[in-house]
Amino acid sequence: MIHFDNVTKVYANQNRPALDHVSVDVDKGEFVFLVGPSGSGKSTFLRLVLKEERPNSGSIHVAGKDLARLSNFKVPHLRRRIGCVFQDFRLLPNKNVYENVAFALEVIGKPRRFIRKVVPEVIELVGLEGKAHRMPEELSGGEQQRVAMARAFVNRPMILLADEPTGNIDPATSIGIMKVLDRINRTGTTVLMATHDAAIVDSMRKRVVELEDGKIVRDQSRGVYGQAY
Amino acid sequence: MRANFIFSEVWIGLRRNLTMTIAVIVTVAVGMALLGVGLMINSQVSRLTSYWTDKVELSVYLCTDKSPFPACKNRGAVTEAEKTSLKQTIQAMPDVERVEFEDQAQAYKNFQESDSNKLLLSVTRVEDMPESFRVKLKDPDKAAAVADSLSGQPAVSRIINQRVLLDSVFGFMGKLRNMALGVAILMVFAATLLIGNTVRLSAYNRRRETGIMRLVGASNIYIQLPFVMEGLIAGLIGGVFAGVLLIITKILVFEGIQMYMQNPIGWDTVAGVITLTMVIGVLICVLASFITLRRYLRV
Repeated sequence: MIHFDNVTKVYANQNRPALDHVSVDVDKGEFVFLVGPSGSGKSTFLRLVLKEERPNSGSIHVAGKDLARLSNFKVPHLRRRIGCVFQDFRLLPNKNVYENVAFALEVIGKPRRFIRKVVPEVIELVGLEGKAHRMPEELSGGEQQRVAMARAFVNRPMILLADEPTGNIDPATSIGIMKVLDRINRTGTTVLMATHDAAIVDSMRKRVVELEDGKIVRDQSRGVYGQAY
Repeated sequence: MRANFIFSEVWIGLRRNLTMTIAVIVTVAVGMALLGVGLMINSQVSRLTSYWTDKVELSVYLCTDKSPFPACKNRGAVTEAEKTSLKQTIQAMPDVERVEFEDQAQAYKNFQESDSNKLLLSVTRVEDMPESFRVKLKDPDKAAAVADSLSGQPAVSRIINQRVLLDSVFGFMGKLRNMALGVAILMVFAATLLIGNTVRLSAYNRRRETGIMRLVGASNIYIQLPFVMEGLIAGLIGGVFAGVLLIITKILVFEGIQMYMQNPIGWDTVAGVITLTMVIGVLICVLASFITLRRYLRV
């Protein structure tokens, strides 16, 4: 599903590569934690999957497509198959829960009848039934992140990328978020989650890929955050 | 493509940038109106030119008893023999179509009709008026050559080439047109910059929305269209105002000078000019939005 082959990424004006000869394979339906300290290359990895950045060398395949050969014109179609969740939720403050989720379908031109059918379903899936007409500011951090997950998942993507989704949320609420991610993973969606949160990684017992200074230092199935912690 | 989604986004964008939108509309309206005025003057000049070219005449004035012109120095009034020979000379020229003689009585009558200076009229007598030949040419462009060859003839005091008079009128109108077009170009330039700024503000205001649109895989056209439509609508409204200004110009100015100039431009010309200016206005707005988008909206 995601295939990195010897990928190196050096940002302009920086000597040290953000990713240094990284090779990783993520299969369909896997749940993978991407761990490592700040600046280890986790976010760069996710940006490369979305083709927001291009690698300096090496090849990347996502959902069967070679990103180097994917024209800019087709990048939006790639992104429709990838859902994204961020630490800062990125909800539209002037739209309510329903509208925020529906927005993701409206802007890719889905018919209104389809939107009316699937949006309530996905709101229920993330556990926000009955809150469809609340505004983001009326919700707790955990609930806002559920809205963001509903928006990421509403188009049934093949891959869900989560960049520190529990970074702004207290540990008790984080468990709920992880349950939703697990539920999404069980529908067959590949989940790739970058995180700092050792407790969560340890409790989930999923595959762990650890980055340090742009290099993969560990790739372990059913792993934990790290021996040092 | 969901039209109502695009239109609601456009409406929000225009309302958020109301002052900038008004500035764009006013600039486009004034710029396009000036462009239209330039085009209208242009078409008026070419209509006048074609109307007048087959009516231009050479006036060959003859010496009177006390003509002040140097050609008549030390000689008296033109004699009958000189008139006959001059008329024959003129008629013999290959470029001349016909010659008419204007005697003193006719000249006095024409003078009374055309000049409004009462004092001058009251002291002018019929005998003061010069006699003249009115020469109609086959090819108006040859006027200068014919005038040159006639100016040395005996008893000819002065030759007036009407073409020269018309040329000065057309020259003045040409200057007016160039001025209107010059200011129009400046206004178009200002409009382009204003639209660029509006789109930049708009892109900044909506960066959250466009960011999410990019993320969920909205196609470029979906992301850019609301911005381009904002430019298009502002350009269209500006174009409508320009059209109104042009209609007012036609009524107040071009109908007003109708009494001096035959053959004024018709409403069909005005309609054509309005259509052209509108198309140009809208094109400029759309192009300016599109180019600015490339810079400020990473897609």
